[in-house]
Amino acid sequence: MEWLFLVVSIVAVGAAGMMLTRQNAVHSALFLIVNFGCVAFLYLMLDAPFLAMVQVTVYTGAIMVLFLFVIMLLGAETTTDSSGRMRWLGLAGSLVAVALLVIFAFPIASDMLGDETIERGDARASLRLINAVPGGEAQEFRVLEMGFEMPLTDEVTASVGLAGLEDASVGATITAVRYNDERASSRDYTDLQAGDYTVSATVSDGSYQSGEVYSAVVSLAPESAHTLLLYQNADDLLEFTLLEDDIKAPSVGTMRLSLVNSLADKQVSLVDIGQYTTIRSLCEDAACGSLLPHRVLIDQLPLGDQVSMELDEGDYNLAFVDQDYNALRILAGYQAERGVIETRVLAREPGPPGSQPAYRAAVYNAFAVPAFGSPEAVGQVLFIDYVLPVMLVGVLLLVALIGVIVLARPDALAQAERRRINRRRRVNRPLVSVIAQQTGADVLSGEYMPKLKPGDEPAD
Amino acid sequence: MNPIGTEPYIVLSMVLFLMGALGVLMRRNAILLFMSVELMLNSANLALVAFAREWGQVNGHVFVFFVMTVAAAEVAIGLALIVNIFRERQSINIDDLQQMRG
Repeated sequence: MEWLFLVVSIVAVGAAGMMLTRQNAVHSALFLIVNFGCVAFLYLMLDAPFLAMVQVTVYTGAIMVLFLFVIMLLGAETTTDSSGRMRWLGLAGSLVAVALLVIFAFPIASDMLGDETIERGDARASLRLINAVPGGEAQEFRVLEMGFEMPLTDEVTASVGLAGLEDASVGATITAVRYNDERASSRDYTDLQAGDYTVSATVSDGSYQSGEVYSAVVSLAPESAHTLLLYQNADDLLEFTLLEDDIKAPSVGTMRLSLVNSLADKQVSLVDIGQYTTIRSLCEDAACGSLLPHRVLIDQLPLGDQVSMELDEGDYNLAFVDQDYNALRILAGYQAERGVIETRVLAREPGPPGSQPAYRAAVYNAFAVPAFGSPEAVGQVLFIDYVLPVMLVGVLLLVALIGVIVLARPDALAQAERRRINRRRRVNRPLVSVIAQQTGADVLSGEYMPKLKPGDEPAD
Repeated sequence: MNPIGTEPYIVLSMVLFLMGALGVLMRRNAILLFMSVELMLNSANLALVAFAREWGQVNGHVFVFFVMTVAAAEVAIGLALIVNIFRERQSINIDDLQQMRG
């Protein structure tokens, strides 16, 4: 990699030097194209593929072609740097360049020599909370409060305000169904500073009084996204688990479907049941004990676990089944859209005691994070954060366009022509020489010179 | 991860910028002057992209995009001016353009 950078940068500097020293402007322009190509290559090495392509099309494609056009249009290929009047500028320019080099190089050199490191920005991590503890009258637990603490030092701890998590936690029953059947967004995620957090939940046994506190330590790596799942384990105790989410864009033409199991007594499988739409047909064909005719997408997911898979674009009939092949939930006519990142949390619905338990597959969505420097990433920043500057630049281009049209219109040429003629007419010589010029006859000398007759003496 | 750090890119960008500045100061051909300015803009862009990668922020790329747009507008206007000047004076040597000198 180093040698590649070295070769490309040497070519770039060499091309720039050739551009400066060529007498023929066409050669200069061609060397500048080489230089721009090298810079585009460096952009590729700097994880900026979109800019590399823009560099090639806009700079080497459009701008340099415009340059070559003008050079050849004017026939100014070999306009020399003659005139020697300003020769001292060359020396002064070299001196200024050396001075700038020293000024620029000094901080870099001192930084390279010293062990001073640049302070980076805080590394961020994304966290969302999914509360899958069944609540309601019939259930034993209810989450009253939830908080996060990040230890700064051994003694001092700082509480972190989590606006996005509050309404998901305080007194909530099953917040896993909060966004049921609607598209929630990655706003579900809260941005935090990466680090270790203590997460705690206060729960009561239905009377809102006992306030038993559960806590766990979670560790958030920089640039990561996590789901903190709060669920009830087989012993009816609360547990936290930290699931790492994959929010990179899924492969082309697929969506990413993640399944989270919060059911203590079930091992959940996700099955593509093809043309069948009911439990019965699933049961008939699968002979209630085998899933053979169906495509098993995710197999036997244990409690508090998460598995992701990529699903091709299209319509599906999906079923969530437990380890005994009972369908817990069927999603008929499920549409898999490309680029979607979806998490399905299988949770028990709150209900009166003794009733048949019902289950839901709550939907949580996330926006895919595009790769750094990709057209998508640049476009998102460009058209969300920088909409106004984009508009202004558009106006600027429009003004430039109009300006060029005004400058280049034939009328302007005619005016220039007229001005030149006018300049020739505007004279501050005596009228006689004007007449002499325009008639072609030299009235000041020769036979047209008026002769003084004798007796025609001047008055004085 | 790319093993090359940010410093080499900044040094290269600095060298290119200085060559561009030298070109502006030393060449008298107006078109070459313009090309030197383009070289300077490009070196600044290179530094922006290098810093964008260093900080993991795409904003640097956006600024490069704007610089390219402005450069395109500038070149269009500038070359139109050069064409008009050449029509008027049959020369694009900037030493000949001194009618505005006080």
